[in-house]
Amino acid sequence: MVAPGGSLGSWETKTIVTNMFPLLVVLCVIVLWAGITLEDAEELLEQYGLLAVMVPTMVDMGGNLGAILSSRLSTRFHLGTTKIDLRDRVLWADIAAVLGLAATIFTALALGAWAIGQVIDASLALTTLLLISLSSGMAVAVIAVIFSLLATYGSYKLGVDPDDTTIPIVTNVVDVCGMIIFIGISSLVLGF
Amino acid sequence: MAFRRRFLSIYRETLPILIIALGGGLFAGLVLEGMLESVERFPGLLVMVPVFLATRGNVYGALGGRISSGLHQGLINPKFERNERLISAVIASFINGIGISIVIGLISWGALNLLGRDSAMLTELVGIMLIAGVLTSFVMIGGLLLLIFTGYKLGYDPDNLVGPIVTTLGDIFGMAFLFLSVAVIEVIL
Repeated sequence: MVAPGGSLGSWETKTIVTNMFPLLVVLCVIVLWAGITLEDAEELLEQYGLLAVMVPTMVDMGGNLGAILSSRLSTRFHLGTTKIDLRDRVLWADIAAVLGLAATIFTALALGAWAIGQVIDASLALTTLLLISLSSGMAVAVIAVIFSLLATYGSYKLGVDPDDTTIPIVTNVVDVCGMIIFIGISSLVLGF
Repeated sequence: MAFRRRFLSIYRETLPILIIALGGGLFAGLVLEGMLESVERFPGLLVMVPVFLATRGNVYGALGGRISSGLHQGLINPKFERNERLISAVIASFINGIGISIVIGLISWGALNLLGRDSAMLTELVGIMLIAGVLTSFVMIGGLLLLIFTGYKLGYDPDNLVGPIVTTLGDIFGMAFLFLSVAVIEVIL
């Protein structure tokens, strides 16, 4: 993905495909782990259909949150901030905002799943859904924050533009974590 | 209070987009729930679901990022025209999107057999991915370009639009076409 002149170095079809396809295959192999976790949970999902309803959001949202933080961080690096300073209040405001968004979205996910459960006759108690959604969601959000910090910082150290490889890898790894944590916590809470 | 101001600005800017993404995710979840019945007919189908969805994000997120940088740099115009760069980028996305779909079928089948698990036939898994991949490519590329161009002309920074548009469209159409594709393969194979 590190084409000469960065990701805009070439607009030729052949260059885009040969640069990108190998990375896409690597990402598939990473996410395959999430797929196998999902397949293993088939009986759990058949018994509690509402969990299946929550799966795509649980898998995507961690990556979304990581991407929001990563793009803020990489913009600040482009603007000249050269290291991560834990006393930096702007950094903490960014992190707090991502966690605040996570708390809001995963509460909304539980409410949405609960409302759907009233319609499709597959209901779980709202408190159970809130417990599953918020505990796995916040765990994924924290992982997304840590990975984004490390990856953005790491790619600057190595002189790689984070937009090219780092962000895709981080979002895909966080997706896998989201699936494993969600299935793990759901089995634990439901005593499956 | 710089902290409070920055916190609120990010929160307010991003929340509406994430709520839309949540709506797309819940729709995709309903389709997934409906697809559980087909899992017995095609063992391995569930393995492919997260990989297929994540790949939509990877392929079309890259296209969106490229188009958005191209707009910023004045290399392409915000309309459907015979621009050489635009056409090259679009063709590359078709090749990547459809090619990687076939790869997903292959590696899922390979992994299931390697782990000694129950698996549908290779042709079934690859067939499902191929049909879903082709259908999703057309809708994703067309929809993404339309939304980015429209947003750009209305004064939005395309950089902020790409991620959520790709996730939401990818979830909705990825799952819908996967469902359709499973139904087609059930009938013809």
